[in-house]
Amino acid sequence: MPIVELNGRPYHVDDNGFLQDPQIWNDDVARDFATTEGIAEMTDEHWKLVRYLREYYLQFGIAPMVRKLCKETGLKLARVYELFPSGPANGACKVAGLPKPTGCV
Amino acid sequence: MSMIYLDNAATSYPKPEDTYVFMDRFFRSHGVNPGRSGYDLCMEAGQLVDDTRRQLTRFFNGTDPDRLVFTYNSTDALNLALFGMLSPGDHAITTTVEHNSVLRPLHHLSQYHGVEVDRVPFDGRGFVDPGDIAARFKPNTRVVAMNHGSNVIGTVQPVAEVGRLCRERGIRFVVDSSQTAGKIPIDVQAMHVDVLAFTGHKSLMGPTGIGGLYVQPHVDIRHTRAGGTGVRSAHPFHLDEYPWRLEYGTPNVLGIAGLHAGVSWLEQQGLAAIEAHEMRLLRRLVEGLRGIPNVTMYCQDDLADHIAVMVFNVDGFEAGNTGTILDVDHNIACRTGLHCAPLVHAQLGLDAIKGAVRFGIGPFNTDAHIEAAIGAVGEIAAARAAKAR
Repeated sequence: MPIVELNGRPYHVDDNGFLQDPQIWNDDVARDFATTEGIAEMTDEHWKLVRYLREYYLQFGIAPMVRKLCKETGLKLARVYELFPSGPANGACKVAGLPKPTGCV
Repeated sequence: MSMIYLDNAATSYPKPEDTYVFMDRFFRSHGVNPGRSGYDLCMEAGQLVDDTRRQLTRFFNGTDPDRLVFTYNSTDALNLALFGMLSPGDHAITTTVEHNSVLRPLHHLSQYHGVEVDRVPFDGRGFVDPGDIAARFKPNTRVVAMNHGSNVIGTVQPVAEVGRLCRERGIRFVVDSSQTAGKIPIDVQAMHVDVLAFTGHKSLMGPTGIGGLYVQPHVDIRHTRAGGTGVRSAHPFHLDEYPWRLEYGTPNVLGIAGLHAGVSWLEQQGLAAIEAHEMRLLRRLVEGLRGIPNVTMYCQDDLADHIAVMVFNVDGFEAGNTGTILDVDHNIACRTGLHCAPLVHAQLGLDAIKGAVRFGIGPFNTDAHIEAAIGAVGEIAAARAAKAR
């Protein structure tokens, strides 16, 4: 299992760099993984997306569809890409501590 | 805003109302197994199958409706043709413009059945030079297989010239018309096409699950499957006579009904009118995207010998991301990625950036759809440009 060190803290990740154990996620973990997206500081918009993804995942066990993500957060997808350059699946979900989505987000 | 459908190269949508209505009516009134029994309904269903054979034979300017066989789709048809025409020790020529419906059967034949395969690249404008194909002819060259129109860059290949060269050498010429049948005229005689593969669900305006082959009377394809034909049941082998030779089991009669209605609709509209409409929209689309600085199009410089299919990328942005934003933010349906034609993307250098975004225009697209698409791509491109600054 690969280990990455972010802000001096080691994390077990999968081959795509996604957090292996979603249970250890917290705001500090999110900030650490945000650095992999080139995000120096998490803004309110970043948190809005991350918290929505997190809550949806905890409730349903999967990531939401992109349309739902945009509708529920009120953000256009183009804006999501501005916030998370790798996009909702590879960027936002990674920061939110979700497993790599297989086809939804 | 309702969805703008620009994925017609994947399948046409919507279909003409005639297709929906006829399929519904026919399935309710004649949803029996055609040609298996002697009662009236069965005979009438069989009649529609035969009528559709005649209709499509006419449509492609063939001569023998029994040589028009139905398959599931083009891939199925091409598998029948290639596996039934090539043997160990044979040489086959294809091109890098092909869809996997040709590439994969030939790769399989080369890996497991001792068939040697050459792949001829296209030029900078997206066309295969017939001379480059002829230059690869060898004494054991048995088949040349190529597509008529590219499902990625939209270029229409010079099949008549390739066909002439093949005919001179006695080499069988197999053409994949998935993107062109129903968009531009196809004349198997004038184009020297020995075997034509088509699909029903794209520009022929039928449903998915129906396609076929037209096999010229001077050509034979071995049957590589066997099963029920509805006739001569006591014979232990699959029948050699066409169309049964290449048809196996109960045909997709509902699909054939839809294809019949779709082609009838095309005949009423006229291919020339449909082509003129689609190409006018394509020209406007290409012109509009050309005005966006950080958009790159591929092989769209000259739209002569072209169908209304085009690909592009917003510079520095993966195609899949552009497509997802077009879908979610702008309600525009398109296809991204490698489009089942990996060698086209490889030759264009796009495989490393995960392909391109494809717009496929159909007869029901409008000027407003095209303007919306140009605007949407412009917005995405502007956002990327701003981010890059």
